[in-house]
Amino acid sequence: MTTAALAPGAESARFSRTREGATVLAVYLTSIAVALLVAALVLWATGGSPTTVLSAMLDGSVRADARWGRTISEAIPLLLVALGTTVNAKAGLVNIGQEGQLFVGAALATYVFTHIGVSGPFVLILIMLAGVVGGAIWAGIASALRYRRRMPEVLTTLLLVFVAAQLVGYGLKNSNLLLDPTPDQANRLLVSERLDPSTRLPRLSWFGNEFPVSAFVALALAVVVALVLSRTIVGFRLQMLGRGPRTAHRAGVSESRYGGMALVVSGAFCGLAGAFMLVGGDFGNYRLTPGFAVNIGWEGLLVALVARSHPIVAIPAAFVFAALRTGSGFLAATGVDRDITKVVQALLVLALLGPPAILFVRDRRRALAAARDRV
Amino acid sequence: MTAPPAAELEGITKRFGAVVACDDVHLALQRGEIHGILGENGAGKSTLMKVLIGLVLPDAGMIRVSGEPCRISDPAEAAEYGIGMVHQHFSLVEPLTVWENAILGERIRLDAASARQRVSEISERYGLDIDPDERVSDLSAGLRQRVEIIKCLRRDPAIVILDEPTSVLTPGESEQLFAVLRRVVEQENKAVALVSHKLDEVLTATDRITIMRAGTVVDRRDTTDADAPGLARAMVGRPVSLRSEGAALGHIEALDGEAAAEGSESEPSAESAEESPVLSISAATAKGRDGRVLLDGLSLEVYPGEIVGVAGVEGNGQAPLSDLLSSLLPLESGTVRVRDSEPVPGRPGSMAAAGVAVIPADRHESGCVLDMTVAENLTLVSPPRSRLGRAFLDRAGREAVAERLIEQFGIQTSGADAPMWSLSGGNQQRVVLARELSGDPAVLVAAQPTRGLDVGAIEYVSERLREAARQGVGVLLISTELPEVLDLADRIVVIFRGRIVGEMDRAGMDVERLGLLMSGAQEAAAS
Amino acid sequence: MIVDFFSAVGDVLSSESTYSSGWRLATALGFVAVGEWIAERAGTINISVEGAMLGGAFAAAMGYDATGSIAVGLLVGAGAGLVVGAVQAHFSHNLTANQFVVGLTLNILVLGLASFLNSTLKPETAAAHVFEVPGLVEIPLLGPALFGQPWPLYLLYPLVPLAWWLVHRTRWGLEVRAVGENPQAADVSSINVNARRRQAIYIAGITSGLGGGYLLLGQVGWYEDSIVGGQGFIAIAAVIFGGWTLRGAMLGCLLFGSANSFRLSLPGVGHPLNSELLSSLPFVLTICVMALFAHRTREPQSLARPFIRGLR
Repeated sequence: MTTAALAPGAESARFSRTREGATVLAVYLTSIAVALLVAALVLWATGGSPTTVLSAMLDGSVRADARWGRTISEAIPLLLVALGTTVNAKAGLVNIGQEGQLFVGAALATYVFTHIGVSGPFVLILIMLAGVVGGAIWAGIASALRYRRRMPEVLTTLLLVFVAAQLVGYGLKNSNLLLDPTPDQANRLLVSERLDPSTRLPRLSWFGNEFPVSAFVALALAVVVALVLSRTIVGFRLQMLGRGPRTAHRAGVSESRYGGMALVVSGAFCGLAGAFMLVGGDFGNYRLTPGFAVNIGWEGLLVALVARSHPIVAIPAAFVFAALRTGSGFLAATGVDRDITKVVQALLVLALLGPPAILFVRDRRRALAAARDRV
Repeated sequence: MTAPPAAELEGITKRFGAVVACDDVHLALQRGEIHGILGENGAGKSTLMKVLIGLVLPDAGMIRVSGEPCRISDPAEAAEYGIGMVHQHFSLVEPLTVWENAILGERIRLDAASARQRVSEISERYGLDIDPDERVSDLSAGLRQRVEIIKCLRRDPAIVILDEPTSVLTPGESEQLFAVLRRVVEQENKAVALVSHKLDEVLTATDRITIMRAGTVVDRRDTTDADAPGLARAMVGRPVSLRSEGAALGHIEALDGEAAAEGSESEPSAESAEESPVLSISAATAKGRDGRVLLDGLSLEVYPGEIVGVAGVEGNGQAPLSDLLSSLLPLESGTVRVRDSEPVPGRPGSMAAAGVAVIPADRHESGCVLDMTVAENLTLVSPPRSRLGRAFLDRAGREAVAERLIEQFGIQTSGADAPMWSLSGGNQQRVVLARELSGDPAVLVAAQPTRGLDVGAIEYVSERLREAARQGVGVLLISTELPEVLDLADRIVVIFRGRIVGEMDRAGMDVERLGLLMSGAQEAAAS
Repeated sequence: MIVDFFSAVGDVLSSESTYSSGWRLATALGFVAVGEWIAERAGTINISVEGAMLGGAFAAAMGYDATGSIAVGLLVGAGAGLVVGAVQAHFSHNLTANQFVVGLTLNILVLGLASFLNSTLKPETAAAHVFEVPGLVEIPLLGPALFGQPWPLYLLYPLVPLAWWLVHRTRWGLEVRAVGENPQAADVSSINVNARRRQAIYIAGITSGLGGGYLLLGQVGWYEDSIVGGQGFIAIAAVIFGGWTLRGAMLGCLLFGSANSFRLSLPGVGHPLNSELLSSLPFVLTICVMALFAHRTREPQSLARPFIRGLR
């Protein structure tokens, strides 16, 4: 057997590990520096001071009293949304409708607690379940359209965000559905009834910082998602689908079953995030409001992107993004509009999108150059 | 001859990493000549041609066009120097018309009327006979190649390069192609370079032959002085004795005698006649999304321990047949039986579960997952499950399986956890082979299993297929390389337009009749 | 109630203002769809047109605030759209990052930037005046809709045939179609695939920015963060609805624009149907229409697939 005639193909993979690591780090740091520089330039141009802004943001997110508890509270739904997004991303699907799925989840949860007539811890579970179902249904529509009508899930999930906003808005105008039927509330404030204190999620208080216990649920779920993806057959097959759909099909992975499931699970996570926001009390003060989702869905998606679909990495990423949110609350004193944090967030995401793409193309080119024209 | 050659390559050297693709190669293409460049896959002939048209930059060496030294860094520059290439794959845009395709990549202003007219002119001048307003998606493989040729000739190049031009053609179409090339050379005094690994082709169509091996030129001859055994010897570097090498070189005559002689020693079809088939496809009909007929009542049986070769010109249903057996293609009517089960065509994993192993023609698309590790790729179909529960992966078990297969199949990799994309093509193919054969299949489908591999790897794959058959697996070999089919198969069926149009076994092999069947001359050849 | 509804529908359909507002809303989509059509023919689903539109609207407000000229405002708007397009193009067809992810991030970036700058700079704006085309405006029902509109709307009229000519009659257009269908083939024919794709996205950015400027200076008159509100996405849906033909895309814009104007008109004729449900109508309609027709049309074969030489 003339095996020796074969070229050693793995040759290109042989490189100095430390040098490679340094290169990767340098590329990332440069990108992030450029992003922050751009943000600073925007501030300068509008007469703001980057250092004051930074200091105010640090105060608002961690340094000031009770602020890091607040940041954790905001990180919970961000993390949950990011975890859901990880699942669909692994299956090779692009879900960008988290904001809608979250909102529908929260709305269904609200509908359940306003109509069930009883309260108590048992109802809490039911509310959570309703949130999961709501999010799952909303993503399920996109899933069905993807696998029955071959409509790109990117567009359907996106369009459904707008439908969700209007639909829930309609519910909040109608006292049969979501609107608080108390007479002096109606028509003036479009809000739902308030959650009964016995049905609220317990809150922990550590060193003067408060956050709901859902933080631990979110952390546990991050570990679960990580384990399912790396240690189970389902996780393995899901990733196979995402990376080589035809190979996966041949190996017995049904695209519609696994892909459809991934999208539904993704929506379920968003719905759960919505339900936790409702029962946790940090958003809307235990009421559903028209602007209830407050961009958590969009930003959770960004968290997943920054974490490169890694569930454990998503934990610190969610905290950082939450810190940008809570930090922006302290900007009013500096006279800088809080929307600057959105700019910083998006710039950070763009900065983190570049390097992996650059490195990917470079690695592939190397491998191809080594393999080209030879076997 | 006093005029300088149309193009001269002097001392061309090109390395890819540690591999030397071309090593100090000299080549002169003369006007009015068809120059055959002969070599095995991977001998460096394609790289050399890519240097000439600017797709590959050489590490050393010089190019002269009509005696003038020049530097060519991309195909557009090559075109300016009058060098054109007839591409084999990926060069035509299907939804566009013939004339639109023909002028793609030019820099001048778009003028539909004159473009159409020029396409018609060229098509008439060389007897290519094609309608400029037809959509390429409606054309057959042979006609598409004519579009490629027009696309190349439209710039009126002094030098025309063809890289393995006959792989998609029937024998008849190949003859027509060579007639066109002869006209190009004689009437227009152009230089033609014909890159090929097929001896017959080079012997019949060229005026001069350069033979390459392992990146160097090993011999140059006038075609009139050349003979098949000598060329084969020069190409491989030793006398050609192994049948698989004969197959790789496309030398059919060399096989005929041997095939008859060796046919009797391993003759499984006699005993298998009483057995029931491991695979039987009956009246399979399938249409594509665009409504095109992919399979048209195809019926086929494979018995245990035999190798059935599916011969045919590319694009006649080989890909759909392979897809069908990869559970990628649902049928409109017809059935597939594997042993005693009847897997549902198109349902994910149905064929694999029934015991059909597949080595797909495009391993990147349905054979492996490039972004996963070698170990993961070796256990795609049935990953080892943990003792903790059937839902969990047994990662240590997977490592063990992977290590064993890497050892057993001689896969060269930096480790079981190396990403698949870091492997060379031959080793990727070994991974696919290892996985598919380790699943203890009833049927092994091998679609173009040796395409793009070098002689060593071809030999290896061929031997594995034979061994699988010896162990009682029914092997279905789908290949457009007729010599490969003739070499390996115990029985040959011919596929044409999604149907099996003829069959012959090893004893009654008749190459001429095969050629007729492949070109669709069914009535003439029907027995 | 059903009878009420239909009589209200009748009132709406016989009112000239319905057609006028329908046409206005459709043309806002039209600007975006023209560019997006070219980008998709080249192989990109460019969801950053939403951001380009918003950026264009805000930049137009700034441009008008600085110079007091509608024309300058529109020009600045188109420029801002080009910038958004350039970032999208560079990230998705130079760095080969996922085009949807880039587009979405850009949309968020532009929204953040525009609202930040708006609250800081507070540009003052006004709406363009209506220009009635003499004679043509007299046509009953449709006349005022087509020819009695704020003048920036008329920019779309030459833009549509121009885009068609560009894609179907020029070499650049031929190459754009080729890279959208088969980038490998285009590449070996020595066409710079990613350059063509980037250029197509630039154009989408310019027309979207122009569309945003038109929205602000021709329709709304002042900047607000919700001024675009998903119209960029609807324009993308219109292109898909139109089966990747320009005619179909424009028809889609007309359909979705009319649906929107229908919603706005119903309360106007004294029928307070809940506006939330009607607000979602264009989106629901888009989804339904796509579900019915999307799978029948032939999309560019390499739509939304990145091209890296040597990789398939």
